[in-house]
Amino acid sequence: MSQEQLTLRTHGARGRALKRLAAFAASGALVVGLAACSTVGSSNNAGSTASGDVGTAVCGSPEEQAAITAAVDGRTLKVGYTPPILSEFYTQVEKSAFNRMHELEECYGIQWEWARQGALNDAHSGVEAVGIVQNFISNEFDAVFVCSAAPASTMQEIYAAGSEGGVDFYQFNSTEELANPSQADDPTGGLFTVSNIGYDDRWQSGYIAGLYLAEELNGAGEIIQILGPSGSDWTKLRQLGFEAAISEYPGMTIVGSADGGYVRDQGLTAAQDLLTKFPDVDAIYGENEDMALGASQAIDLAGLQHWDGTSGIITIGADGLLSGMDSIRQGKLSATVDVNSVEMGRTMIDTLFQHEILGMTVAQFIRIPTIVVDQSNVDWAEAKIAASLAGPGNY
Amino acid sequence: MMKSRTLDIATVSRNAWERLVVDPTLGVISLLVIFSLIAAFAFPVFYAGNNIYNLVGSSITVMILAIGMTIVLISGGIDLSVGAVMALCAGTAASVVKLGAPLWVAFLCALLVGVIAGLMNGFLVTRVGLPDFIGTLAMLGLASGVLYIATQGVPIIGYMTSEYYVIGGLEPLVGPVTLPMVVALVLALSAGWLLSRTRLGTHFFAVGSNAVAARQSGVSVRWVKTQAYVISGVCAAIAGVILAGRNNNVPADLGTGYEIQAISAAIIGGASLMGGRGRVLGAVLGSLTLALAINIINLAGVPSSFQKIVIGAILLLAVIANYLSELARNAALRRRAKRDSQASSLERTKKEI
Repeated sequence: MSQEQLTLRTHGARGRALKRLAAFAASGALVVGLAACSTVGSSNNAGSTASGDVGTAVCGSPEEQAAITAAVDGRTLKVGYTPPILSEFYTQVEKSAFNRMHELEECYGIQWEWARQGALNDAHSGVEAVGIVQNFISNEFDAVFVCSAAPASTMQEIYAAGSEGGVDFYQFNSTEELANPSQADDPTGGLFTVSNIGYDDRWQSGYIAGLYLAEELNGAGEIIQILGPSGSDWTKLRQLGFEAAISEYPGMTIVGSADGGYVRDQGLTAAQDLLTKFPDVDAIYGENEDMALGASQAIDLAGLQHWDGTSGIITIGADGLLSGMDSIRQGKLSATVDVNSVEMGRTMIDTLFQHEILGMTVAQFIRIPTIVVDQSNVDWAEAKIAASLAGPGNY
Repeated sequence: MMKSRTLDIATVSRNAWERLVVDPTLGVISLLVIFSLIAAFAFPVFYAGNNIYNLVGSSITVMILAIGMTIVLISGGIDLSVGAVMALCAGTAASVVKLGAPLWVAFLCALLVGVIAGLMNGFLVTRVGLPDFIGTLAMLGLASGVLYIATQGVPIIGYMTSEYYVIGGLEPLVGPVTLPMVVALVLALSAGWLLSRTRLGTHFFAVGSNAVAARQSGVSVRWVKTQAYVISGVCAAIAGVILAGRNNNVPADLGTGYEIQAISAAIIGGASLMGGRGRVLGAVLGSLTLALAINIINLAGVPSSFQKIVIGAILLLAVIANYLSELARNAALRRRAKRDSQASSLERTKKEI
C-alpha cells in the first residue's frame, strides 16, 4: 500500500478522532485561507476571498502587481469550458472559476473571453464533447478546459491535433488515473494536456466513502450500492476505491448493486428494488449525490429509519452539492464526499494564468483536497459553496 | 371508415381466436405474464412487501408519456420532444410554486407550456411541412435549451411543500393509493374513451392509416395531427408536474431519455410506427413491462450493462409480435374480403338464375 493510502487509513475510535481532527483542521484551513490570501504566482491552491474583495492580500505587493500587470499587458484569454453536462456541480466549478477570473482581472488587468458548452443529450457517451472541443479548436481558442466521458484515446488524439494548432488543453474532474499515467520517464505522463486538475476518484472519493461507512458501523454491516452507468470511468474508479476500503473490514459486505444512472429518479427506483430484496441493510452507497438523495427518499417511502448515529440506514453520496447540504443537516443524507468544486474552479484558473501568462511549467497532475461532509462539518462546507456562488465573478 | 380500433378488430374477424391474435396488446400481455412468472419463481421477494406497489409507482411517469405518445403514433406521427417538454413543464411548475403562487396556478402554467409545445409541434409538422421526426426533434432542442438557459444548469430546488409530496406520490392519497396512480388511471380511461367512443378518436386512426383517404373523406388531417400533438404535450405537462414532486428537484437534464422510454412503451404496447394502430391499454402495459424488466434486473443483481440489452430485446420481441399480429390481421382481412366476394358472387348468380 502506498504512503498516500496509508495516510488515508484510519480505524475505529482512533479513526473517528482523526476524522474530527481533520474536519477541525480543514475548518481552520478555510478560515486561514479566507483571511490570508495569496497571489497567483505563489501556489496552485492559493486561497482568496470568496466575497470578491480584491486588495493587496490578493494582488501582492504594489511592485509584484505592477510586474504581473506588465506581463499580462492587457491580454485577452479566450477560454472554452466543456463539462460533460450542465449540472449543479459543474455550475459550482464554473462560478468559482469566474470569481478567480474576476480577481485576476481586477488585480492585473487581464481580460477574459469565456465560452461554455456542455452536452445537451447524452453526457455519458462523450460523443457531443468531441464535437464541442473540435469547435473550440476551429475557433482558435487559447485554452480549453475539458471534462468528458469520451474515450481517453479519442480525446488525446484531439488534444494532440489541437495543440499543434496552438490550443492548450486542461482536463478537470477527469479520470486520467484510470490508465495509471506515469511521469517516471515522461514529463507529460503520456498525455497531450498542459495539466489535469481534479482529485483521485479512487482514493479521494470511493475509498473515503467506504472508510466512513466502515467506521460509522464499527466495521460490520451490509451495504447496497447505487452506481452510475455501467462503463463510466468515474464509476469504475470510485468502485475500485470503495471496494478497497470495504475489503479492509472483513465484517463489511456489499450485498447488492443497481444502476442509478447518476440521476435521482432512477436512484430512487434502484434503491426501492434493492431495499425490497435486502430490507435489513445497514448502509447505502450512492456513487453520486443525486442517486444517494434518491436512495434517501426510498428509505422514507419504505418506512425505514435514517441513521441517527447508532441505528438506522447510513446513506452516503459524493459530489458536494449545495442542494445536498440541507439534506445532510436534516439527517436525510448521512454524508457526502465533497470533491471541492470551489477549489477546483479556482485552481483551474490559477493554473491557466500561471502557464499562459507567466509562462510557468505547471504540474501535469494537480490534486485538490476532498473531504467527507456530515452533520459535524456541514455548516462550513455549505457556507464555502454558498459564498462562492454569491461571488462577483460573471462572464 | 372504421369506428375504432376495437371495432376494427371486430370487423376483421368474428372468430374469437382471430380477434385475440390480431389484438395489438397480445404481445405485451404475453411478455408481462412471462416476466411475472419468471420473477415469481426466481425471486420470492417479488410479491413480498411493497415491490409491486413500488414497481407501479416507478412506471407512472413513462406511462403518462406513453399514453400521449400512443395517440401521436396512431395518428401517424412521432413525438421526440416529450422528455424535454416534460422537463420544461416540471421546471415551470417548480419555479411558479417557488415564487409563492398557489399550486393550481403552477399546474395551469405547466399545462399551458405543454399545450403551447404541442401546438408548436403541430405547426412545425402540418404547416411548415417538416417530417414529424425533425419537427419534434427541433422542439426537443428548443424546450431543453430554454430550461438550460432559465436554470443555468442549476437544479430547481426549494419548492417542495407537503401538498407536493402527495402530488409526487411520495405520500399516499388514500390508503396505499397515490395521486399519480389515480391521475394515470383517469388519463388512461379518458384516452381510451377518446379513441374508441369519439369522432376525434376515429379520425386519429383514419389519418394514421391513410392520410390521403382521410383527407378525401373530409377529415382535416392537419388539425387532427395537431390535436394529437397537443394531447401529447398535455400528457408531458402532467408527467412533468408529477416527476418534479417525485424527484424533489428539477435538474436541466430531467427529461433526457424519457422520449425513448415513452416510444418503447407505446411500441411494446402494440402501437405501430407506421400509424393507424395502437391501444391505450397497450401503452399502460408497455410501461409496466419496462418497469418490470428493470425491477427483475435489479432484484437479480444483473450488471447494469445488461439493462439496455434486456430492454432492447423486449422491444425487438414486441416489434416481432406486432409484425406477426399485423400479418394475422391482414390475413384475416383477406379472408373476410374473400368471403364477402364469394357471398356477393353467389348472390349475383342467384339473381341471374
